[in-house]
Amino acid sequence: MSFLEAHHVSKSYGDVRALERFSVTIEKGEIVALLGPDGAGKTSFMRILCDLIDADADAEMSLKIDGVDVRKDFAKVKPLVGYMPQTFSLYPDLSIEENMTFYAGIYGFTGAAYRQKRDQMYAFSNLGPFAKRRAGALSGGMKQKLALSCALLHDPKLLILDEPTTGVDPLSRRQFWEMLLELRASGVTILVATPYMDEVERTDRAVCIFGGRKLTEASPKELARQFEGRIYYLPQSPSRELIERLDAIDGLEARRFGSGVHLYTDERTEITVFDGSLRNAGVDPAQIEPIEPSVEDRFIQLMEQETVQ
Amino acid sequence: MFRAYTGLVKKEFLQVLRDKNMLRIIFAVPIIQLMVLGYAVTTDVKDIDLDVYDFNQSQYSRELVDAAGAGEYFTVTHDLQPTSQHPVYDLHTRFQAGASEMALIIPENFSRDLTSNENTTIGLVADGSNASSAATALGYMSQIVRQYAMDKTGVKLPIEIRRRVLYNPEGESVYFMVPGIVATLLTMITIMLTSMAIVREKEMGTLEQLLVTPITGSSLLAGKLSAFAVLGIFEMSFALAVGVLWFGIPFVGSPLLLFGLSAVYLIATLGIGLFFSTITSTQQQAMFFAWFFSIFAILTSGFLTPISNMPDWIQYLTYINPMRYFVSIVRGIMMRGAGIPELIGDIYPMLIFGVAIFTIAALRFQKRVS
Repeated sequence: MSFLEAHHVSKSYGDVRALERFSVTIEKGEIVALLGPDGAGKTSFMRILCDLIDADADAEMSLKIDGVDVRKDFAKVKPLVGYMPQTFSLYPDLSIEENMTFYAGIYGFTGAAYRQKRDQMYAFSNLGPFAKRRAGALSGGMKQKLALSCALLHDPKLLILDEPTTGVDPLSRRQFWEMLLELRASGVTILVATPYMDEVERTDRAVCIFGGRKLTEASPKELARQFEGRIYYLPQSPSRELIERLDAIDGLEARRFGSGVHLYTDERTEITVFDGSLRNAGVDPAQIEPIEPSVEDRFIQLMEQETVQ
Repeated sequence: MFRAYTGLVKKEFLQVLRDKNMLRIIFAVPIIQLMVLGYAVTTDVKDIDLDVYDFNQSQYSRELVDAAGAGEYFTVTHDLQPTSQHPVYDLHTRFQAGASEMALIIPENFSRDLTSNENTTIGLVADGSNASSAATALGYMSQIVRQYAMDKTGVKLPIEIRRRVLYNPEGESVYFMVPGIVATLLTMITIMLTSMAIVREKEMGTLEQLLVTPITGSSLLAGKLSAFAVLGIFEMSFALAVGVLWFGIPFVGSPLLLFGLSAVYLIATLGIGLFFSTITSTQQQAMFFAWFFSIFAILTSGFLTPISNMPDWIQYLTYINPMRYFVSIVRGIMMRGAGIPELIGDIYPMLIFGVAIFTIAALRFQKRVS
């Protein structure tokens, strides 16, 4: 029995299909990324998981956490679950300490047991020195760390995090993920929705969701390897007319990437085939380097294939 | 679960006390209401500016004018000598300018008629733009004239009327006001605080976070409502203290009974506040509903104007206004020392309405965020 089993979960808002028979299984101790653009259905799925909204009725649908049917008995699993929604949802007019005391009280922690847990969280998150500061006066990164701390107070076995690092500075993001990896090491299962590719690469498995449907799921390495075609990098300034010239070459696709150009060919073609055309376009082929496809490349490819259909 | 409850109550208090606007409402509003309504809004009629047009200019007419100005009811401001100008024009100008509110017109043959035992007439003209005080003023003046007539002619009425006003012999309007103010404060504070605080959690998204925790809907409700109930009672006590200690109003009945019945009334107001929180999605909306309802409740509660004076269809509507019963209860306890047997006719409907609205509201609230 897997720790989390979701089967055929659908959700519509009026005419809009936010989730289309979405299924996923998560084993204990995994970190799974839910990867998808805005509006793909990630938040809807997570809210259904936490029994905050109802999924569409479907005889084939099932949703179980630790073997318990979420729709019937979510109260039983509540102590197991820690949820962090996309927008900050703690009390801005209370201090860090007051927020934590409040949530601890809800889970039944007071006195010495609470203080021990609280100090553990402070050490974990480096929020200790700011304990008396109002939550509304915290920076983005600190808010998220506080939200995570509150979600962890009751030692949940399953963490559901909806874009926990969106809008957070890079240093805080890194610290946040270090916290998550520590948690995984201690046996916590984590489902995290994220648009950041570098974060996806640190997970055990990535589930790609687009238009409410699951496109694929695989480990990040596997996902990147599934990329169809080859990618090369040309360190030349990606002016629009250069891109157009390169794109015009039959069998070659060009896109700007940072301060250079990505060139795409299909699986069987070596870039050397295009040497002549490239020189004609004003490019020195010797400068071109092959690069490993990334998760992002594969995901965009999947989205494009899906859109074409 | 008890820990969750106390944590909630503590949090609500913290939030209210940290909200500067809330604090102003809780402390400033009752003081202002009491001061303004206690002092400024008085139904007593005193110091009415009275214009006298004495066309008789005799000892008798002077005596009558003196009698009119003797008490505290009238101030004779314009003792006019008859002029070639028609007195009526002057009257309009004076009334319109607000310089006077009543005119006493004594005709030329006043003293002649009195001494020859003939009937004579006096003119009394009142500015009716304030209908209630005009009626009262006319009443006072009529009495003064009647007394003067009896003194002068020695004629006594066959029926002697002895009047006594129980419970408020001076007719102090502040005695009448303060119980109503106390009821108003309890009503407005609890409805507003309850509806706004719950909607604020919806607005801010903190309600969602709470729903994922093991806290039950009933604990959540209990925690919030307890905090507001306490605040409401505190407000009420504060207003009562000011009323009794500052304005010196009497408190004849049992304070324990008053607070006990206030708790019953709270079921209704908390229920109404809770109900509003389930039909609004922003704090502004909640405040608007709370305000609008409070005004309606206050105006039809019998606080300022008697219900029996209202048109029939409004009187029927007041039967579902819980504040109507509570105002009656507060007055009964404070001014007449009434006990449960006397008040039972108000307690029952208040209880029934309260339980009904609270149940409806709580059921609505138990629905999940969706």
